[in-house]
Amino acid sequence: MLVWFKKYSSILRASIITALEYKANSVVGLFAILSGLLIEYLIWSMIYSSQSSAYTIDGWTFNRLIAYIFLSMIIGQLKSSWVTAHEMIMQIRQGFMNQYLVKPLSFFSYHLMNFIGTNILYYIPYAILIFIAPIIFKDLIFINFVQVPFFILAVIISIYLSYSIYFFMVCFAFWFGEVRALLAAYNISMFVLAGQIIPLDFFPEYYIEIINYTPIPYLIKFPVDIAMALEVDLYKWFTFIFIALIWCFIMRLLSSIVYSIGIKRYEAYGS
Amino acid sequence: MVLRYLNLFYSIFKYSLARDMEYKTNFIGSLFVDAIYYLSWYFFFEVIYSKTSVLGDFDREAILVFLIATFFADTLFMMLFDGAGQLREHIRTGSLDFILLRPVNSQFLISFRYIRSYALVSIFVLSVILYNILSLFHPNALNIINIVMFIISIFMGTVIWYCFEFLTSCLTFYFRDFRTGGWLTHEIMKFSMRPDSIYQGFMRKILFSILPMALVASVPSRLLMYGLSTQNQKYFVAQIIIVLILLSLTRILWKVGLKRYESAQSYTGPVI
Repeated sequence: MLVWFKKYSSILRASIITALEYKANSVVGLFAILSGLLIEYLIWSMIYSSQSSAYTIDGWTFNRLIAYIFLSMIIGQLKSSWVTAHEMIMQIRQGFMNQYLVKPLSFFSYHLMNFIGTNILYYIPYAILIFIAPIIFKDLIFINFVQVPFFILAVIISIYLSYSIYFFMVCFAFWFGEVRALLAAYNISMFVLAGQIIPLDFFPEYYIEIINYTPIPYLIKFPVDIAMALEVDLYKWFTFIFIALIWCFIMRLLSSIVYSIGIKRYEAYGS
Repeated sequence: MVLRYLNLFYSIFKYSLARDMEYKTNFIGSLFVDAIYYLSWYFFFEVIYSKTSVLGDFDREAILVFLIATFFADTLFMMLFDGAGQLREHIRTGSLDFILLRPVNSQFLISFRYIRSYALVSIFVLSVILYNILSLFHPNALNIINIVMFIISIFMGTVIWYCFEFLTSCLTFYFRDFRTGGWLTHEIMKFSMRPDSIYQGFMRKILFSILPMALVASVPSRLLMYGLSTQNQKYFVAQIIIVLILLSLTRILWKVGLKRYESAQSYTGPVI
């Protein structure tokens, strides 16, 4: 375990150092959150402004909705391993997998550390945004301090689960060579369907019933629900954390199986 | 000279088609992505319109035309100008050398380096859908003037996107590594994916001038639905002026940027 930790922490450290060389990237990350929030704010303010101030949509007041979109956009950005997945596909396609075969390195863990390290630029500004969020959205976010550790745990689970789903799809590159289309489809659809810009409560009943049998609600809705809960419900949160962990385990297991079959087909073509 | 570049464009198209056919799964997958993209945004506006009947000037029927206009612009952009986004990697890795050495206009070659042939299928599907929507909800829009204006306007909207992508890519000459530039452009482009009527006051002025994202899909859809009204004529003229300014800016930044290019990492790999 200690060897594993030493090995991968050094990879993490190296990717953090690389990421810190390009600090300006975090500015783009902030712009992404704020511009996205502005667009949704303008749409919903137009809808709400035509009604009375006490108007709610499916029980959501305007301020509560904007607070939701604010948090969900941050979590959506944090969990997106699009760039890392893209790199993994290129490595499989161009025959750069040899380094993982001849060295005691796990393809999954190496890129997970790389993903976390690269994203360090976003963790800091986003953490600041989340820290000031309860001041801006008073009585809407983190009403009780107990919510904070559960929220952090839910975000970590969300990031890991999202990475595992991406990894699972990446492994299909062993068969098809180019699977960026699959990832793009997933990425685009999750933007809308995982509730990143609209709360899932607004979606039709049949849709909510279907996705409750998938890991989708644990990617964005679950952490945001914890942060915005009006009452502390430890039993419910522990239950959801348990289910989310089961999904993590299932996706990790599935990706391991697909990877172990896929790597046998790998021909190091182009290395 | 024009004929030479048309021939070159045709050759690039043939090469791109052959390359796309090499990965048939990805070719079909790309169509699948487009379908998912269209459905996701349709679903998004369906949810919004289940809570309201109108967004400014755009009712449920008008938003369908706007959505198709957005999809057209996106598909055309992906099809024709995908190379503009790859410029960042060419500058970063130094593989731009291979393009600069060719006896053609380097901006032309880098911009049209790779044409996504599958987009032709998407354009055909979108045209059929648009025709059906217009027949059902806006039969008056089905006249030659509106359609020609729409085609010209949507192409200019796509060029606006190209200019922003190219300009942010050119910033790599200064930052050396600006891989998040694509993300930045995408975030700016998002403003064009909502109807212009949601933008009011100062924000509206910005999106019709400095960041002319309201001109990309909203103006073409207005031209298609309502023809050349006085207001739409102004929007159309604004589109022409802004496209000319932006294209000139790309030329200037490209030429200035090239002087800073240092062939960064002595690239030895394949040319993307």
